[in-house]
Amino acid sequence: MATILFADDEESIRLLYREEFEEAGYTVVLAADGEEALQKFSETDPDLLVIDIKMPGMDGIELVGRIRETNTEVPVILCTAYGEYRQNLETWASDEYIVKSANLDGLISKVAELLERNVSP
Amino acid sequence: MSELRKDPVIGRWVIISTERAKRPSDLKVEPARPRGGFCPLCPGNEDKTPPEVFSLPEDRPGGRGWAVRVVPNKFPALSSQGSLDKRAEGMYDIMNGVGAHEVIVETPDHEATLSTLPVADITTILLTFKARLDALKQDNRLHYTSVFKNCGEAAGASLEHPHSQLIALPVIPRRVMEKLDGAQAYFSYKRQCVFCDIIEQELSDGRRLVADNEHFVAFEPFASRFPFETHILPRAHRAVFEETPGDLMNALAGIMSVVFKKINAALGFPPYNFMLHTAPFNKDVSDFYHWHLEIIPRLTKVAGFEWGSGFYINPTPPEQAAQYLRDTETPG
Repeated sequence: MATILFADDEESIRLLYREEFEEAGYTVVLAADGEEALQKFSETDPDLLVIDIKMPGMDGIELVGRIRETNTEVPVILCTAYGEYRQNLETWASDEYIVKSANLDGLISKVAELLERNVSP
Repeated sequence: MSELRKDPVIGRWVIISTERAKRPSDLKVEPARPRGGFCPLCPGNEDKTPPEVFSLPEDRPGGRGWAVRVVPNKFPALSSQGSLDKRAEGMYDIMNGVGAHEVIVETPDHEATLSTLPVADITTILLTFKARLDALKQDNRLHYTSVFKNCGEAAGASLEHPHSQLIALPVIPRRVMEKLDGAQAYFSYKRQCVFCDIIEQELSDGRRLVADNEHFVAFEPFASRFPFETHILPRAHRAVFEETPGDLMNALAGIMSVVFKKINAALGFPPYNFMLHTAPFNKDVSDFYHWHLEIIPRLTKVAGFEWGSGFYINPTPPEQAAQYLRDTETPG
């Protein structure tokens, strides 16, 4: 089953991701900030990343840019609670940009869609 | 004593601070440090952008496939699908967020600027603006398209790769309506285009002139809101940018190249915005409107007084700014 790396500085959100995505059958890797996410990215070689934009230190946009320096293929979803980043073209390094919601159904279906797209020729 | 000056088109007043005038050396900025890293607009990363809606091939040996690409915004605020569905909520008007938001990738060269690009490449960018405006005006839901460029973080750009943008709207924006209304009122009174009269006065006066050629004039407006605010207008009366003949685009690219070379040499590659003001779609303003390009180096900050009053305080008289730009030697 696919491995998904979640980077989010809020512990409650990380726990929610673990619960929902493990139940959906994915292997879940969690990181609390950008630096930890970079380290776990190289250690676990995930199939997809879900990254919060607003994190202390290295933010999600910088994290995607750093990942893209070595890997342009792995699907990345940027999550934000804020609309202001919609005009930031650096978000284009990601594959999707979604607004956070307590209901993860939309995120779960987006993850499935991107994983399927990535294995299709 | 400072001066209050009135913009002859929209009647906006500005305060020109002549006593505490800031010299260009006071305004010069430190060039931004390149951020580097992954760039979704660079050649080779085309799969990180939506499919292009327009492109022109790079016609030179060793080219990288395209000279200009236009792609829809990957995460758009306005949708090109659907109807407007205009409605009311009590006294408030609402409609669906229909429109278009496109990014014009101006060159494959990540490091280029409008002062380093060859004039032929700037012409290609202008022809791309024309092509997109011509295409978007076919959509009768759209009434105005704003073409603009944000360059540098302080001007709102988040990527260094040279790009401009356009946003097509189902309404005519208020700032554009102010210009149209002002120009129409002037025309009703004098039977003359206000912009043609401005050009005539600036050419005969000469104090605010920055550059000119056979077809275009660049000057600092009499009631400039910002230091080194520069406007470029065609000498011939023409309301619609996209109706500019192709051979004149080269002359426009030429004067833009001169102006950006001067601004960058004088002020140290400042962040800036440019805005193309052209006629709305489906509205005949040909008697009284005159398309123009506004270039605004971001050297001062807009704060409470400006937001609250619509006044601006400009610490550099446009005559001084123009003199300084005229005297600035440019490479090439």
